[in-house]
Amino acid sequence: MIASVFALGALLTSCTEPDPTRVRLTVFAASSLTEAFEDLVQSFEAEHPTAEVLLTLAGSQVLRLQIEHGASADVFASAHSTHVAKLVQSGRAGSPIKFASNELALVVPRSNPANIGSFEQLNRARQIVIGTDNAPIGRYTREMLHRARAALGDSYADAVERSVVSTESNSRLVRAKVDLGEADAAVVYRTDALASNAVRIIRIPDAINTQASYHIIRVAPAAQVTLAPPTARSDFASRFIDYIGSREGQRVLARHGFEPR
Amino acid sequence: MSLHRFSPASALATVLGTSLVLCLAVPFLALALSTSFSDLRAAFAHPMFAPALKLSLGTSIASLGLTALLGTPLGWWLATTSSRVGRITEIAVQLPIIVPPAVVGVALLQTFGRRGLLGGILSDFGVHLPFSVQAVVLAQVVVSSPFFVQAATSTFRELDRDLTIVARTLGASPAEAFVRVVLPAAAPGLLTGASLSCARALGEFGATLLFAGNMPGVTQTMPIAIFTALESDVRLATVFALVLVALGSALLAAVRTFPRLASSVSRS
Repeated sequence: MIASVFALGALLTSCTEPDPTRVRLTVFAASSLTEAFEDLVQSFEAEHPTAEVLLTLAGSQVLRLQIEHGASADVFASAHSTHVAKLVQSGRAGSPIKFASNELALVVPRSNPANIGSFEQLNRARQIVIGTDNAPIGRYTREMLHRARAALGDSYADAVERSVVSTESNSRLVRAKVDLGEADAAVVYRTDALASNAVRIIRIPDAINTQASYHIIRVAPAAQVTLAPPTARSDFASRFIDYIGSREGQRVLARHGFEPR
Repeated sequence: MSLHRFSPASALATVLGTSLVLCLAVPFLALALSTSFSDLRAAFAHPMFAPALKLSLGTSIASLGLTALLGTPLGWWLATTSSRVGRITEIAVQLPIIVPPAVVGVALLQTFGRRGLLGGILSDFGVHLPFSVQAVVLAQVVVSSPFFVQAATSTFRELDRDLTIVARTLGASPAEAFVRVVLPAAAPGLLTGASLSCARALGEFGATLLFAGNMPGVTQTMPIAIFTALESDVRLATVFALVLVALGSALLAAVRTFPRLASSVSRS
């Protein structure tokens, strides 16, 4: 009976059943990679008609948690080295490859309610949204604010920190608060800022800005501690990682504003 | 044929019912089993814990107060009116029960946000709701008060209409009759509604996250602390979750004992 209920459920969802002639590859990628990886997946599939790539996007810390709890990802692209390092330590992943860099940018709503014209005027904002400390965007932002304190003084940094009204779990959720017009300013990746036309970008001085580095790894199936022998799936996983590092892959990333590794 | 005799049908019913009980109970058991004493100690000492618990309790009590204050007259009107507007209002008030909390969150932003329907007027008065503790309370009131209103309405409906008529003929004003006769008689039902509504407010997550954000000490309630903790330390999240299970159980116990207590008090 229960089995038939599940069977019915499976039948109802069968429109998403995998195509048996294609090899399904699951790619977990940081939220900030959304548009770039959608493009990369599309062109990878065009080059490899027998591969079907499923893309899951979330904060890197969330994706790592899911992998640690048995999610069947084949490839993981993280916005911070810690999250891949933890998986490598636990034996769930092969060696990480750095594939792109990024930097931070300040974004304000088009209407710019707090009238912020430069990074030095961020202390005018009453409502600032940043990433949570667990998320790569939050961690990079903390590093950046630390340098801002040294460069622009304690009173500036204190005013900025006091105005932080929410800490979000990934860079896209941070940006959404500015897209919605609820925040006066937010700190996101430069690429997030470029991908939205609802925000105005304000440069963060190079001496204060933080470099974000993106790493990609192959993930072993949950049941085994060591990497599985090559199968069609892990073969495609390696090919996908190679593709990200290839000239074509790097060109797609550059088109979305990412800097080369 | 006895109902208790073995039959394939009753065996099937037992299997089905037991499966559901297992689905409902095992996750809570797993939550408790996966926690050690040292996890508990570490989580209670964590800087996220005390502010989140304090905020959750404070906001749930505030939203319960608002709900009772605004919901009791509404429930009375819904129970006593026979107008078409009353029926439509009753359906509208129930909407937040069936709509996902995320929808409520977006709707609240579109209402009270800076670019929302009322955002402009509010900001003229210097009121900025999003990202504030008031936003947490408002989100809780919207998702939880329908439970209270529903309970209040059905309780008032079941009351003997003659009660108020008798009170009035004995010289009580309408307000006196309501406070001294109707409310005590309705207390058990109202308390059940209040407990359910409070439990829902305590568990509010989706609307709060979208409308009030996530700021430790200001808008980070227990459910949002669980969400945040999960991203760094699963054991921390597990203990926070257990605390909410304990609070929920206490409310459930209250739902079951309050009405009996209240009815014994009102009878004496």
